[in-house]
Amino acid sequence: MAHIHLEDGAFSLPWLALWSLLAAGVIALSLFVLRKGGMTTRKLAVAAMAASVGFAASQIDIPVFGGLHLNFTPLIGILVGPALGSLCALVINVFGAAVGHGGWGMIGANTLVNALEIVLGYYSYRLMRGRLKTGRFTSGFSATAFALIISALVVAGIVIVSGIQDSQQTGEEALPSMTVLIAANMLTGIIEGLATGYIVSFIGRVRPDLLEESEAERTEGMAMVVAKGRANV
Amino acid sequence: MVHRINPWTKGVLLIFTVGLATVLTDIWILLFLLALSIAFYAAARLPLGVLIGWWTLPVVFVVTLTVMFMFTEPGEQLLTFDVFGKRISITDNGIMLVVKLLVRALAVVTVSLTLFMTTRYTHIAHMAFRTLPGTLANMFILSYRFMFETSDEISDVLDAMHSRSGSLARGFSRQTKIFAGIFGLSFVHAFERAERIAKAMEARGFAGQFPRTERVPLPSYGGCALIALAAVAFAIATYSRYFAGGPLGW
Repeated sequence: MAHIHLEDGAFSLPWLALWSLLAAGVIALSLFVLRKGGMTTRKLAVAAMAASVGFAASQIDIPVFGGLHLNFTPLIGILVGPALGSLCALVINVFGAAVGHGGWGMIGANTLVNALEIVLGYYSYRLMRGRLKTGRFTSGFSATAFALIISALVVAGIVIVSGIQDSQQTGEEALPSMTVLIAANMLTGIIEGLATGYIVSFIGRVRPDLLEESEAERTEGMAMVVAKGRANV
Repeated sequence: MVHRINPWTKGVLLIFTVGLATVLTDIWILLFLLALSIAFYAAARLPLGVLIGWWTLPVVFVVTLTVMFMFTEPGEQLLTFDVFGKRISITDNGIMLVVKLLVRALAVVTVSLTLFMTTRYTHIAHMAFRTLPGTLANMFILSYRFMFETSDEISDVLDAMHSRSGSLARGFSRQTKIFAGIFGLSFVHAFERAERIAKAMEARGFAGQFPRTERVPLPSYGGCALIALAAVAFAIATYSRYFAGGPLGW
């Protein structure tokens, strides 16, 4: 998964403030959506456990291509939805910052990137399962790879736009370095896509009810639209 | 001594450490900040060996992400060599860039670890509820509470895999499937635990907020003085950096 692994001090104060404000807006929106939909105790517990597994799993070194760390943000989006998933992203980033896995000041930028992965992962998976009727592995792989490839570009964009403190290079001059970063993140994204595809297939066999959030037909929503239409007539 | 410092004081000091690491640019002042943070850690009588181990992560991140800048940063060339017919060189500004980022990162990580290793869970819970929206605070506390169990469970499953010669499996696809199964199992167990916890919480009358068993008082006069000192240092650093060309390279 794409993650700005830069530590504190990499971005200057104004950029830090900007990304943090934007992230605060995303979190506020998520909290608003959850409050409107009703935050149940089960949702709270599920989100908390997803965040703790996401953080714990991200510390595991997978012995592929010398060692990879995955963060499963698109998977979290598929399992808990975009609103809860965004909160999970914030929690994971705070725990990460506490142990030096990214800076405290980077939490804003990282939360934005991870929230994007979660939203793209969720809606792509939903589209593939709902409209295109693809299998769980294909949907999980495609949604995750798509979300992470996009977020890899966003990460590079954020770093180029913000610039690294004390670096005298312009964004254009830093592009070759960023190209290497983008390529590495994209490759990791494809590998995580494969892992997520297998995980989603596994969960679908063992506990298919856990995938209801992203696989449920929009029957409730349609029923409400029909009912409102009838009421207005 | 550090264990007895008010958690609010330690939390605010961490915030100002992040601010100072962000705003300061002079290498000597940054090294002084790092020295202060190490002194803070040492005053808590925490093992330095553990700190060196925790430093590995930020060092790896900074170096792997900025190593290219050592070669591309403009400046005086210190070392030049040929790679596949192309001449590349390490510059002084490139090395200084990496060193500064490292020093900043290590200073913040040291203070962050000191805070979490010297503050009780109940105090962290109280601070979370006082500073965050209720839903977010509940999520933090619940995640923090069960993070260690989750980590232990994953470690146990990995140990079981290794003891059954799972690590002998070679091949990209096979390795990915094995680890996907482990992570999938972890997520399924996490959701099942969440369902049990939710039922237990509701059975115990959970009404949206965890009971706070221990409150954290406000900082003492000494703590306030420490916070004020950090605030003044941050204000001077910020003013010198952004509003006036100050001495010492600020």
